[in-house]
Amino acid sequence: MSGGRRKEEPPQPQLANGALKVSVWSKVLRSDAAWEDKDEFLDVIYWFRQIIAVVLGVIWGVLPLRGFLGIAGFCLINAGVLYLYFSNYLQIDEEEYGGTWELTKEGFMTSFALFMVCVADSFTTGHLDHLLHCHPL
Amino acid sequence: MSTMFADTLLIVFISVCTALLAEGITWVLVYRTDKYKRLKAEVEKQSKKLEKKKETITESAGRQQKKKIERQEEKLKNNNRDLSMVRMKSMFAIGFCFTALMGMFNSIFDGRVVAKLPFTPLSYIQGLSHRNLLGDDTTDCSFIFLYILCTMSIRQKILGLAPSRAATKQAGGFLGPPPPSGKFS
Repeated sequence: MSGGRRKEEPPQPQLANGALKVSVWSKVLRSDAAWEDKDEFLDVIYWFRQIIAVVLGVIWGVLPLRGFLGIAGFCLINAGVLYLYFSNYLQIDEEEYGGTWELTKEGFMTSFALFMVCVADSFTTGHLDHLLHCHPL
Repeated sequence: MSTMFADTLLIVFISVCTALLAEGITWVLVYRTDKYKRLKAEVEKQSKKLEKKKETITESAGRQQKKKIERQEEKLKNNNRDLSMVRMKSMFAIGFCFTALMGMFNSIFDGRVVAKLPFTPLSYIQGLSHRNLLGDDTTDCSFIFLYILCTMSIRQKILGLAPSRAATKQAGGFLGPPPPSGKFS
């Protein structure tokens, strides 16, 4: 589906070295926002993935969601939420960015590593009492 | 067990510090040099130009156009190679520093369970996640495993000094996986 609904917007000013300005966040939740700079959009996808990784990591560790079901659940939710965001909500043309696979793998491994760190930390923290009970020193 | 939580936080802190140290060393030896800045700007410009040209080229494009693109690709490959050579200096320095640091941290955290995993890692990863730990509980997490995970998640986010996606894509294997092009301000 092409981005025919996108309006023309004046080009967003950018700092040198590709750093994003605050105005990017105002575009993130607007389904009709125009994304002239591809790198900017890919950075949004990247950081969204990291946020999802932190949130899911903490929840999964606190619940806790054990086993590979938790990992598989994270992968599905991470990929699924972002896919729904860029495909259904923003309705961007994936081919402009190298296809759905390129958008799906953008920042995925980093977010997975971050998820693992958050899960380990929150599981260790949230279940100290249980671990103490099971492994008395 | 409360020391386990402290160890976890400490390892996250250590990985942030070592990532900053690595970037700092690279900045001192590489990023602030004129040669690197010039090469990086050249590579960025050429990559974007080449990407635009490749998008507009059609199947029926003349031989001259294709040869022009090949020449530009060759020029870009040479510049990328020069860029990699410039970064080689910092890689050696970082390698040397980190060998010493890792030896020190490994001896400090030797035999210590720094976190508990809510799952059992795959058998070929257990060699890393259960490294130097006593007992058979495979949900015990060793220092090195947690450190590697922290480094993987933190390292790519720091600063915005790496080449852009366009440059990395054109360079292929030279520069590794594309990092984010900048940071949010």
